[in-house]
Amino acid sequence: MGPLISQGYINPEWNFVIALLLGVAFGYILEASGFSSSRRLAGVFYGYDFVVLRVFMTAVMVAMIGLVYFDYMNWIDISQIFILPTFLTSVIVGGVIMGLGFIMGGYCPGTSFTGVAIGKLDAVFFTAGLFLGIFIFSSAFPLIEGIYYGGELGPVTVMDTFGISRGLFAFLFIVATISAFILVSWIQKRVTKNEV
Amino acid sequence: MKNLEERSEQYINPYLGGVLLGLTVLLTVYITGRGLGATGAVKSTIVAAVDQVAPTYAENQAYYSKFLSDDHHPMNNWLVFETIGIFVGAFLSGLIAGRVKKFRIEHSPKITPKTRLIFATLGGVFFGIGSQFGRGCTSGAALNGTATMATAGLLAMIFIFGSGYLFAYFFRKLWI
Amino acid sequence: MNKTYYFLIILILTLGIGALFFPEKSYIKEISPELLFYKMNNPSRFVTTDQVAKLIIESDPTLFLIDTRSSDQYGSFSLPGAMNIPLDELVDSIGIICPKWIDYLDIEGMKVIFFSNSDVIADQVWVICTRHELDNLYVMRGGLNTWAETILMPQKPSEYSPDEEFALYDFRRGACQYFVGGSISIKSDVVADQVPRVRRKKKTVVAGGC
Repeated sequence: MGPLISQGYINPEWNFVIALLLGVAFGYILEASGFSSSRRLAGVFYGYDFVVLRVFMTAVMVAMIGLVYFDYMNWIDISQIFILPTFLTSVIVGGVIMGLGFIMGGYCPGTSFTGVAIGKLDAVFFTAGLFLGIFIFSSAFPLIEGIYYGGELGPVTVMDTFGISRGLFAFLFIVATISAFILVSWIQKRVTKNEV
Repeated sequence: MKNLEERSEQYINPYLGGVLLGLTVLLTVYITGRGLGATGAVKSTIVAAVDQVAPTYAENQAYYSKFLSDDHHPMNNWLVFETIGIFVGAFLSGLIAGRVKKFRIEHSPKITPKTRLIFATLGGVFFGIGSQFGRGCTSGAALNGTATMATAGLLAMIFIFGSGYLFAYFFRKLWI
Repeated sequence: MNKTYYFLIILILTLGIGALFFPEKSYIKEISPELLFYKMNNPSRFVTTDQVAKLIIESDPTLFLIDTRSSDQYGSFSLPGAMNIPLDELVDSIGIICPKWIDYLDIEGMKVIFFSNSDVIADQVWVICTRHELDNLYVMRGGLNTWAETILMPQKPSEYSPDEEFALYDFRRGACQYFVGGSISIKSDVVADQVPRVRRKKKTVVAGGC
């Protein structure tokens, strides 16, 4: 059945309309969850506000278990969906740099757009920085090509990497996420108590 | 728990937000077979701009040429439309909740607005560079990648948040 | 904590535990049912025993013969150079092809020809493999029964037959010499279910080919 577009259930001409609508939903939810505020976002790293962790992990958990069930019900052909290819060196370097950018800027790209939309000047500067950063990367690409293509493993999934089944990974992820939620509630209670 | 609810009463419950966001991701994958993203549109804009200013350079440069095609303009891209949607959706949500105001800077009382803007820009630069190495940002790589169980997505998530915690100590003055 | 949260935790955990019991699917690519149906109705997958014999005699390097009968039958008699992949071992309990065979069958430029005693089992194997996006697969028409009748024990055509029949007969006698050295004859118990014999003109190359 799914993915609807590549299986021909939806005319590709509708692609951009769908993109726009999904973007509206995405932006609305991010903003409504409070992701347009950099201080709320940064709170996850200092233990005073875990909204990022709660929203993000819940979203991953729901989407992941949803895909497992969609796959089981044969509603989606899981072999047709895009799997991000793994370049080990590149993704580790990128992740570390992104973490640094996150703690300095207090936004990530998607959330900075929502900040811009409601008139946060720091989000505007973050977005400008984003353009600058990508421009720097692209211009310096010949120098860093080795890192970018380093450690290629192809489009592997965690099932390939750890040799476990889809269902088991989803279950472990759920258990880990719920444990994290309980843990951060406890941390937040302590941190905010100390401050007050 | 009570404390959190008082602080965020103007926002929706984070778990509700998470479930809705997860369903959006699921719907996106179900309809298009791919994920949501944010940096992709910025990249397309850069590619389009460079192609406009210096077409020969763009065609011969190893990175820009990857995203140039004779079939369509670089801005004619799924993620560009999706990103326009992000702005519209966020604006709608802010409008409904009364959060859309004229431009202001949100910063910790311990730092000046100027410091905040400098670090916001620097953060953006780093995020921009990192997102290209990671082949996606928090939405494209970490959120969708992990949801589709791509190893790269899981690694991106672990390293973004891990490195955030690692560097958090050095930048604590910016936030608390 | 709020009661709702306990409920939600139990709900998501239940969903997670449910997911533990989902069978692992194998993600071998499949062609669409419409395409498979189209291919099944197309008789070009059949090659005659004469074509096979010619390929063997010419020791065509792209020829890959697969014996789909049981290993006992394979042990007692098979075509020269054939590999044994019994139908039971080709697929798992739910009819999905075992990935280890894909490596054998999916070689660029090879003509894979299936055969069994008749062509029924070989054709089943053909359908299973074609469904899994494998290409250049053929079925030997009539299987080893026809092989025995045509190559190992060729019938002399009647006097009034056209010249082609005699040319074919000569080829078959030559082939018979090649395969059995003119001495051994095949056991009759191999010849089980009779399949209507299709006489085709001898062609130089297998239909389709590469």
